[in-house]
Amino acid sequence: MRDAYLIAKNELLVTIRNPYWLFRGLLQPIIYLVLFAPLLNGVAGVPGFPARNAIQFFAPGLLIMNALFSAGFEGFTLQDKVESGFLERLRVTPINRLSLALGFVLQSSATLVFQSLVLIVCSLAFGLRLDPAGALILLLLVVLIGVTMASISFTLALMTREGGILAGITNTFILPLLILSGVMLPISFGPPIIRTISRLDPFSYAVDAARALVNGALTNPSIPVAFTVFVLLAALALALFVRSMREAVA
Amino acid sequence: MQAIIQSERLSKTFVVRGRRPVEAVRGVDLTVAEGEIFGLLGPNGAGKTTMMRMLCTLLLPTDGRATVVGFDLETQQAAIRRHIGYVGQKGGMEAVATGRENLMLQALLYRMPRAAARRTVDALIERLNLAAFADRTTDTYSGGQRRIFDLAAGVVHAPRLLFLDEPTTGLDPQSRARVWEEVTALNAAGTSIFLTTHYLEEADALCGRVAIVDQGEIVALGSPDELKRQVAGDRLTFGYENASAVEAASAILTGEPSVLEMRVEGNSLQVYVDEGDEALPGLMRRLGVAHVPPKTVHLARPTLDDVFLKLTGRTLHADSEAL
Repeated sequence: MRDAYLIAKNELLVTIRNPYWLFRGLLQPIIYLVLFAPLLNGVAGVPGFPARNAIQFFAPGLLIMNALFSAGFEGFTLQDKVESGFLERLRVTPINRLSLALGFVLQSSATLVFQSLVLIVCSLAFGLRLDPAGALILLLLVVLIGVTMASISFTLALMTREGGILAGITNTFILPLLILSGVMLPISFGPPIIRTISRLDPFSYAVDAARALVNGALTNPSIPVAFTVFVLLAALALALFVRSMREAVA
Repeated sequence: MQAIIQSERLSKTFVVRGRRPVEAVRGVDLTVAEGEIFGLLGPNGAGKTTMMRMLCTLLLPTDGRATVVGFDLETQQAAIRRHIGYVGQKGGMEAVATGRENLMLQALLYRMPRAAARRTVDALIERLNLAAFADRTTDTYSGGQRRIFDLAAGVVHAPRLLFLDEPTTGLDPQSRARVWEEVTALNAAGTSIFLTTHYLEEADALCGRVAIVDQGEIVALGSPDELKRQVAGDRLTFGYENASAVEAASAILTGEPSVLEMRVEGNSLQVYVDEGDEALPGLMRRLGVAHVPPKTVHLARPTLDDVFLKLTGRTLHADSEAL
């Protein structure tokens, strides 16, 4: 565990010195908040809109979306570390592979929590009303999603070895996952087929839960569903990442 | 003599779906004694790096077995890792961390308590004379500076055995000499060294014993001098203006008693003889009488390159950058 902490600390130190990654992730959600959320205001009055206003609808999903994107692209930083030989240097030390994997995931989670706090503050400025207890639970859900996405991205990074291929795979999967999650527009507006497919997207549960949590509806059934789904996915993805870390990395 | 590395039939085959499997290392038996500087010499792609990566636990062998620092490669990797150091071709310094921070992380990962780690890193920086730039981020270092730091990271924990993968590739001559100096000093202090190189001078200058590697196999093994003795004597190179003159010269010298072996290479004729300085005047006379006197003459003692050429029929540096 000390090893995982050492790696995470070192990674954070490096991230802070080179804050590009920290803010690259934030730029996109902030643009959505500033440019897209106001567009939703016109839709918010439509019958069947599942929130009292646009920001209350969009901000919770934005946190999920940020977790999806920010952690989902972590693999690129790992590929740099393969390229520089840094990962190889670590793999010859007595550090065990689980600690090594956890170290990278921990770093990505810390970054994600920081980004989420920034986004929450920005959303409050845009008029979000937030239940404090719900917000804490939501942060936990965000971290679970972060662990899932970062582990998958790290695993793909080690498998593909090549930035171009990694970008292709990542973009192919992230966009449909995002749209079907209902972050942008209520899935209930869509035809039945979309509504059905949407239920296959684990992020749709996370987005539902996020909205409930922000509103303080802590007993909403979507919350345990989202947590169950992402505890399982996070464990599975982390296990995959540890396994690929054990195998050869050139 | 205690063995620090011992391998039996060590093999690695890379399988990529849809392609023919690549046998990078084929059944290597190898014994390296404690205290040696042992070198794997071969061209790029010969399997040197794969061999080294298996021995330092970065790559699982597909077949065979080995012990490294007395522990089994398959079942005791953690124990091996505690006692070996490894400096890869790419070094692996974190670019936006300082040299000192990189060394500290390395020391802490070898389970040193923080205070001891700090003392060790300070002492290492002092001894290697790195203080002037230890607190700058490593992306500002020159190639030579970075290489010395790579080396420092490899020995923070005073390993019994240090692996160096092409330690001086791409370095200027001055930095190369500096690396050689440090490697020699480490060895004098008791560290066994296992390195790969495709530079003959490096194998010659550093290694007590050299294994020549070609296509995943060890084709010769011994001290640089022993290996050179395997080659048929000294090499005389007669240079001509065109290939037909080379042919004529070759025909004239065929059957000459002092000539052990001949090889045509472009516009020159390479002649191997036992005692170059004694044989040369006689051969020159023969060529002069036959009206094919060479334009240039060069006498060379055998090098490891000749050993490689003799064993494999190819020159060592044919596919890498010229020096």
